[in-house]
Amino acid sequence: MAQTARTMTPGSTASASTGLLRSARFRAEREADWQALEKLVAKAEQKGLHRMEFAAARDLAAGYRRATTSLAIAREISLDRALLEYLEALTARAYLCVYAPQERLGGLVQRFFTTSAPQAMRRSALFIAIGYLCMGLGALTGYLLYFENEAWYFVFMPAELAGGRTPEATTGFLRSVIYDTNPDQTGLGAFATFLFSNNTRIAIFVFGLGVFLCAPAIILTFYNGLSLGAIMALHVDRGLGWDMGGWLSVHGVTELSAICIACGGGVKLGAAILFPGALSRRAALQRAGRDAVKLALVAAVMLLVAALLEGFLRQMVQDMTMRYAIGWGVGALWLAWVLLAGRGRA
Amino acid sequence: MTAAPQTRRSSRRSRRRDRPSPNTVMSPEGVPLTLRVAGIGVRLSAQVIDVAITMTAVICIVILLGLLNLTTPQTLYAIGAMAFFLIRIPYYIATELVWNGQTLGKRLLKIKVIGHDGRSLTTHAVVLRNLMKEAEVFLPGTLLFTLDATTPLLSLLSFGWIVMAFLIPLLNPHRQRLGDLLAGTHVIHLPVPVLLRDLVRETPTRGVAGKFVFLAHQLDHYGAFELQTLEGLLRVDDRRMAPAAYGHHRKTLGEIIERIRRKIGYADPVPPADHPAFLQAFYAAQRAHLEQRQLFGDRRADKHHAVPGRK
Repeated sequence: MAQTARTMTPGSTASASTGLLRSARFRAEREADWQALEKLVAKAEQKGLHRMEFAAARDLAAGYRRATTSLAIAREISLDRALLEYLEALTARAYLCVYAPQERLGGLVQRFFTTSAPQAMRRSALFIAIGYLCMGLGALTGYLLYFENEAWYFVFMPAELAGGRTPEATTGFLRSVIYDTNPDQTGLGAFATFLFSNNTRIAIFVFGLGVFLCAPAIILTFYNGLSLGAIMALHVDRGLGWDMGGWLSVHGVTELSAICIACGGGVKLGAAILFPGALSRRAALQRAGRDAVKLALVAAVMLLVAALLEGFLRQMVQDMTMRYAIGWGVGALWLAWVLLAGRGRA
Repeated sequence: MTAAPQTRRSSRRSRRRDRPSPNTVMSPEGVPLTLRVAGIGVRLSAQVIDVAITMTAVICIVILLGLLNLTTPQTLYAIGAMAFFLIRIPYYIATELVWNGQTLGKRLLKIKVIGHDGRSLTTHAVVLRNLMKEAEVFLPGTLLFTLDATTPLLSLLSFGWIVMAFLIPLLNPHRQRLGDLLAGTHVIHLPVPVLLRDLVRETPTRGVAGKFVFLAHQLDHYGAFELQTLEGLLRVDDRRMAPAAYGHHRKTLGEIIERIRRKIGYADPVPPADHPAFLQAFYAAQRAHLEQRQLFGDRRADKHHAVPGRK
């Protein structure tokens, strides 16, 4: 190659230096077009693409495509760094404007609740069932172990969570917790305290830790079941089983379901890592993530509802049957939503 | 000055060149675009700004609730935490959707979230990466305060999680955190298009047009790297320099011209008054020559292009 370069006539380089360079001509011919695009990009970034007039939006898209062509050509024919850097930046800015998400926030929320969330729940039925199974087995184990030896209670139940409800407490005290007519907190305060109580943290952990091969999600859910079983066993032991069931039902049906659903999402992520199938692990994780995120969002909404029920309704309703009716009624509504919503649409 | 370290360095450089640069994104049009990956520092700063904004909103709300007597001091902390939680999740998702991958903090620092595969950002990606932010940024942040020697196992677990959340972005070239990896996104610096003048089209200083003529073999010594370095030097604005700096600048020009003359074998001496014009002319001739060689498929990256065995 160097050989051919040396055979070139000196005249050709001399004429090029007078300003008739191919790359300089290329730039001079297109400069106005690029500057017009620059203005459109600035406008689109300021106002948003959906608020631009039709003609401007059309010009932006067309100008962007011309700029990509210019960039590809300039990379081949020009060594002018200023030009290359300008075109790189301009094309990238225009690219970011043209390929922007075009979604309205309102439609998004509506679509989530009417179609995509219930569909994701139905698709992940197996994983959610695993979540319920973990919780159920944990509760059963905790229940049986309590009757074997009361000391297990202290193993399963952290002291701050029990709030004095231990095997040493009197039956009268246990009853007073269940039917507490003058609480020391306002509704809003109780709502907030609840939301940041143990169970929300467990739900977040259960979901997030599922990535690590499912095990943490399953263990945590099982553990949560253990403490549930132990506290139930304590109350059954004192003949308060039905009353405790009512107290727990008001928010528990929704709240414990939320944990099971979060566990289902976590297990789904972990399963994608364990059994990626024909995909790479990262691709499998990304695919599983599409449904798992919806499960996490559903769990979050359910926890909010549970907090509302706990904060406001539980102390207002003191009747056991009413408590059962509210708790399981809300549970039935959730079930109906999951089973019926979003059918018949793509 | 031995050959051994030089070859080692060059082989490392070639290996680095073989890997695709993290700074390029393939557009759907098939033209690779340069979008510089944003580092941890700038992203952390954007995060701090966003937290400050949402915190301010939370404090306003709590004060309002306090004035309306809707809260008691005991539950103030819990209500504040809840308000922060309920404000920040929609804040991140809504701002990134409305402003195409930019929260207010990111807008201020001119960084942006983009789709990793070059396609547009999807709603799913925005929601996923911001939900993972809860587990990755805020949870470690709060865990940090709960580290406690009395519960060694839990503290160790939390500490492991915090370390992991910080290590993942450091260990991959796109600086993606876990949420980015799951959502298929990464964060870039917004490029700023500034069109500088074309040095070749400039009117040459009077009286020197055609004064300096370079022969083809004289232009075979340098490559694109040297040309663009010279371009940078020529773009320095010497009219607004302090006298001392100006003298220094002129001295540098003189030295550069001496080296160029020696390298290319340019016999005639250049008087100091003609220094800028000489460099201007040399730049134009060199660029014309290299661009022409490039059109013939002979790309010359730098002055080592003629050395056999190196590309």
